[in-house]
Amino acid sequence: MISVSMKNVGKSFGTNTVLKDVTFETKTGEIFGMLGPSGAGKTTIINILTKQLTVDSGECYVSVGSDEIGLMLEHDGLFSKLSALDNLIVFEDIYGMSRKQTLEALERVGLSDAAKTKVDALSKGMRQRLVLARAVLHKPKVLFLDEPTSALDPLTARGIHTLIQELRDSGSTIFLTTHNMEEATALCDQVVLLHKGTIIEQGTPKEICERYNAVKTTMDLESVFVQLTGGGLE
Amino acid sequence: MRSLKAVFKKQFKGTVQNPEILIQFIIFPLIAFLMNLMMVTDFEGIPQDIADMLTANMPNMVTMQATIFAGMGLITVMSGIVAEDIEKKSLRFLTMAGVKPPAYLLGVSGVIFVVSFFTSAAFGLIGEFSGLDFWIFTGAMMSGVAGSIVLGATIGILSGGHQSASGLALPVALVLGFGPMMAQFNDTLARILHPFYTQQLNVVANYLTMGGADTPLWHAFAIMWANVAVLGILFAIVYAKKGLKG
Repeated sequence: MISVSMKNVGKSFGTNTVLKDVTFETKTGEIFGMLGPSGAGKTTIINILTKQLTVDSGECYVSVGSDEIGLMLEHDGLFSKLSALDNLIVFEDIYGMSRKQTLEALERVGLSDAAKTKVDALSKGMRQRLVLARAVLHKPKVLFLDEPTSALDPLTARGIHTLIQELRDSGSTIFLTTHNMEEATALCDQVVLLHKGTIIEQGTPKEICERYNAVKTTMDLESVFVQLTGGGLE
Repeated sequence: MRSLKAVFKKQFKGTVQNPEILIQFIIFPLIAFLMNLMMVTDFEGIPQDIADMLTANMPNMVTMQATIFAGMGLITVMSGIVAEDIEKKSLRFLTMAGVKPPAYLLGVSGVIFVVSFFTSAAFGLIGEFSGLDFWIFTGAMMSGVAGSIVLGATIGILSGGHQSASGLALPVALVLGFGPMMAQFNDTLARILHPFYTQQLNVVANYLTMGGADTPLWHAFAIMWANVAVLGILFAIVYAKKGLKG
């Protein structure tokens, strides 16, 4: 069953064409990775799918309504003067969740001890985890994660990876963008390589790596990307 | 309704737990109280006619500070809250979670209105208004508060960022907040400021403390509510053009 899709989507900002003829499908219950360097158009795709932007051409589809979508975007959007728990309580009230579920979400990301700490005083990694707790609080069917582990230490990133896999296992569809090829290889069931607004390759990480003879001791999506674009990550 | 309650609770916590905002509701009545204490009221040894003249011309600290609170403090508070929620993209997450813009604005305004009621009542007590006078004063204050909330929200949406909100709000707030105080000493300025709600708030408060208003009180209230209506239209225009885009 298709959860998220785009068909021939084009998008420009003035004279700057950001997306060209983008087509892909995400199946329910998989982790779908949108890979590419900064400026490739990944965030624009998430913004279109979450209805923050409209398309110039083509069609896009998300199988669920906004109340069943979880978001972790470029900006954390946290209320910096409120505590971690109070930030979640705002969304607990909006979604009509119980306090028990809120505390569980906080515990799931390892922030129970920081529940009463104001967001201003949280580290970057803790804020990131709090944003993830907010995104999964209402058990969304589709989760959009924009660079979920960027600028995080490996340990925190690993914790977030585990949580993402758990969510996939519980039936959620995860749509994530990243420029970290290693992360995509380890996490994603399907990936799309995006370069300058165009999809240059898609499939499972294994299929893609095999297609380009990039499986040595481990799969190496980064070398596939370099082969396809003639350069490294920007 | 659930969204409105959520925003109201969020804003209430954000107001009472944030000293930068909370101070705005405390500092003005506190200054009025302290300045009232410091005012010379003992005219012993001074001829009665001179003492009467001094008393009559003595600026009333409560009405001054109350006008500054309603006209200046609240505009900067409201514009700052809205602009910060837009700038930090918090509002984007609220709207994407299903909070409609009117629910957000009502929730935030509701908290500011309620907290301002207590500040206004504190001014009323410090000013020793009692009975009907207390409620007329509080009513005038809340009319001013309503005007400043609408104006502050408009500035917050217009600016879209905390820093530019301060830049926009400050001159407007200075004119509306300090103007009526200056007008107590300058008739020309009083005439210029006559159509503005903070000047009328000052007129009502001064009438209650000193008496002698040139126009009936309902006239002042009518001007204040006309202001609120005009500001409401201005808000609607700005909102229609810019929305609450984070």
